[in-house]
Amino acid sequence: MSVAGQVVGGGIGDILVRQQSGSRLEVGDLLVSEEENSILILEVFGLQYGSQIDGRVQEMMSGVILEEGPPDAEFYEPNFVNYVMARVKALARVNRDLSVNLPKSLPAFFGKLRIISSEDLKFLQGGGRDRIFIGYIRSGSKVIRDAKVWLDARDIFTHHLLIPATTGRGKSNLVKCILYHLLDSSGVGALVLDAHNEYYGLNGEVGLSSHPDARNSLVYYTPTDPPPGSRHLTISLDTIRPDHFEGIVEFSDAQVRTMRKYYSDYRGEWISQIMLTDLSMLGEAESRRDAETRSITMAVLQQKIRQALDLEVDREQNVVVSRHNVFDSVRGGRTADEVVRNIEEGRVVVLDTSKLNDQAELVVGSIIATRILDHYREAKTRGVLRDKPVATIVIEEAPRVIGEEVLQSRTNNIYSTIAREGRKFKVGLTAITQLSSVIPKAILANMNTKIILGNEMKMERMALIESASQDLSEDDRTIASLDRGEAIITSIFVPFALPIQIPHFEEMAQQRPPPASGTTRMKVF
Amino acid sequence: MKFAHLADVHLGFQKQEPLQEMERRIFEGVVDRCIAEGVDFVLVCGDLFHVNIPDMRVQKIAMKKFRDMHDAGIPVYAVYGSHDFSPTSSSAIDLLEAAGYLNKVTVPSDDGDLIRLNYVQDKNTGARLAGFSGLKAGRDVEYYERLDREYLESADGFRIFLFHGAVGEMLQDEISGESLPLSYMPRGLDYYAGGHLHTFRNRSFSGYENVVYPGTLFAGQTADMEENARGRGRGFVMVDFGDKVERVRFVEAPGCRYEMVDVDADGLASEEAAARIRSMVDSIDPTGKVVILKAYGELGSGRTADIDFSAIRKGLLQGGAYHVMIHRRGLTSKEYKTRGESTGTREEIERRTFQDSIANVRIKRAALTGHRGVDLSTKLLATLRHPRPDNEKKADYERRVTADATSKMGLE
Repeated sequence: MSVAGQVVGGGIGDILVRQQSGSRLEVGDLLVSEEENSILILEVFGLQYGSQIDGRVQEMMSGVILEEGPPDAEFYEPNFVNYVMARVKALARVNRDLSVNLPKSLPAFFGKLRIISSEDLKFLQGGGRDRIFIGYIRSGSKVIRDAKVWLDARDIFTHHLLIPATTGRGKSNLVKCILYHLLDSSGVGALVLDAHNEYYGLNGEVGLSSHPDARNSLVYYTPTDPPPGSRHLTISLDTIRPDHFEGIVEFSDAQVRTMRKYYSDYRGEWISQIMLTDLSMLGEAESRRDAETRSITMAVLQQKIRQALDLEVDREQNVVVSRHNVFDSVRGGRTADEVVRNIEEGRVVVLDTSKLNDQAELVVGSIIATRILDHYREAKTRGVLRDKPVATIVIEEAPRVIGEEVLQSRTNNIYSTIAREGRKFKVGLTAITQLSSVIPKAILANMNTKIILGNEMKMERMALIESASQDLSEDDRTIASLDRGEAIITSIFVPFALPIQIPHFEEMAQQRPPPASGTTRMKVF
Repeated sequence: MKFAHLADVHLGFQKQEPLQEMERRIFEGVVDRCIAEGVDFVLVCGDLFHVNIPDMRVQKIAMKKFRDMHDAGIPVYAVYGSHDFSPTSSSAIDLLEAAGYLNKVTVPSDDGDLIRLNYVQDKNTGARLAGFSGLKAGRDVEYYERLDREYLESADGFRIFLFHGAVGEMLQDEISGESLPLSYMPRGLDYYAGGHLHTFRNRSFSGYENVVYPGTLFAGQTADMEENARGRGRGFVMVDFGDKVERVRFVEAPGCRYEMVDVDADGLASEEAAARIRSMVDSIDPTGKVVILKAYGELGSGRTADIDFSAIRKGLLQGGAYHVMIHRRGLTSKEYKTRGESTGTREEIERRTFQDSIANVRIKRAALTGHRGVDLSTKLLATLRHPRPDNEKKADYERRVTADATSKMGLE
């Protein structure tokens, strides 16, 4: 056994270990204490110097060496005199039968600890049809390639997933890796609102389309020039209901009443009717004041809908058109249904929303998410929810819809409804954010799996630590020092907070064999 | 110059003699109209026949009218549809082709991994035509994935692409089922002649002008008859063209007169339901019409068998109805309730049924679960669906079905 250190003091949650000379412990290193019928896994969360010489004497000696001493002066037997002390905490006890418990006792006093090896991590379950590969176990900055972390996709997506990180820490890479593995599973369907159009893989780039089963498991919608096999993202204006704007666009009571009235009178054509209303024709039979009020309400409503959906009115043709071709008054009547059907069949559906403004993107997501939740609620009522795959809505910059400020100033939106009660219906949220601190604690605590990437902002780290499924109170510095691709998984579905290294998406994808088509001759009828 | 675009004729779909007669009359009328209008050519975009080998009566009707077009100097260009094609057997389409009355436009050449389709050029107009047949259960997707699009896009002249399948962007009221993205088609051609969707539609998209489905001429599934009765016009498409498409117009084919009787019997006792049906039927004039009686809902008491539908049918026929169709699948009683939803096309209902059933069994093999399981089940059902045709020996039929099923299960 290669000893890394020895237990010399401390207590539960903060054990002191003297580092063996020659070993170089890092914050985040995983250590193992071998016990009779189990091993105890511990993690280094702090490092400090220790010395047998009093501090004032050390300072005096340093002065002698620096100011007067010979350049090669050193301590007598320095390894005994000066050393490194590690602060470690016990993470888990792994029993001989590979069951894992939370440790409730200390390792043996003076017990020797060694660096963890892949053998110690055999309790991690392997891959399977509905499991997704998240990354390799990491000990400090060392990656243990044989210890792979696979999580049950149905569990983690039902109970909501949060991916918090600041820019440049590998969020997109992580999301691509997760979605790539979802393509192997029919147990989870996903709606991905891809605001940067970065997941599919266009123009020869490696993306989700590189997956061998992409043809069956991936559906891609884009507003213009869809590549072969993908679909036009066109959504009929008929599909939109007033409640799809809830919590996304702020309307006054009068505006909401007007919207509902038009919806009640014109159903699917309500938006076109509002947008085409001639303000001068409003309130002809009313008092001047009432007519003015109605006219102002309608003018502001037209402006808000126009801005939210990027619409224009073609006065010559008397039709409403969309600047980005996504909303259409004639086409796209089945798009939302198709998307929902694909998700209910366990596929990953990527919507290229890069040409949409924030509000339009959220409205598109709202239309589909509302249908999914409605379908799943109905399935629960009919007793057939068990037969459906889990559905997850992947949304970037999540505070746009589940941020404290949004939820206080506006009514609930479908995303916050899913965050609060979607779990009962197997509908989850996969929220990606730089700002976890602005998400209400109640929602944050409901997100039962968090894959925490590096974050230099103290407030953000604290929000995550306080809502984590495991005790991360000593991990503030560890989170701050996570490098690109390094992460910590905290979840009710893992025995302890797992430090991981996320694979590089392109390398991972290129290791898979390419799609089988194109290698055999086909008879064409 | 002009051409006619037909699809989903489904000759042989009708099983009752009066409707068979109507089916024949409508088809012959459309062909006569094409000849009378002097079209330069005719496109048939799949499902000319309801099955690949229809009975001799149907083949005779088709043979005669295709000969008429041939004699009038009108070439016919076609692709197979999902109904009139079998990968392991012949099709009546092949008979028409062998007789020189029809030209298939799927002319592939071997180009390694890609499928290169060569254009067939119409001698009279110079129009170039290429296309893919529609195979059941979305198997034609593999064709599109390997299609050499650039080759088709780079050709000059007036270009038409024929296909048979539901393009997702063209769907309207259909319950979502498998569909083909438009992006699989070559871009920039002049006309995309579709078949498979049973109602007329004509739309253009960026890079894809004139994507057109003429719809069925009469009916290819039960739901079509109900739609007809509710006033849906059926027919074909006439296209005027020069260098480009000049005009696309839907030409309605004269059909028959209908009377639709919708009876909601939900919560009624069987006697009350019977009385309501009788009263509604008595209020119509059935003379010379196809009467469709649709009863639905869950009876509050009594059995569905308590309602004497045969007597109602008999009464309507005696009253002069041309034909009576009784749709009572949606009618259930508390004593006996059928599973499943009856809305949508047959394919959609089948897919939903498979989804439900697969969800109820525990299977470990991924290929048998989820959408993959549904796809495989649909493919197998497509193989097993058709009874042995009169002109096929039992042993040949068994061999053909077994080979097809084995192939679909990937067990060859």
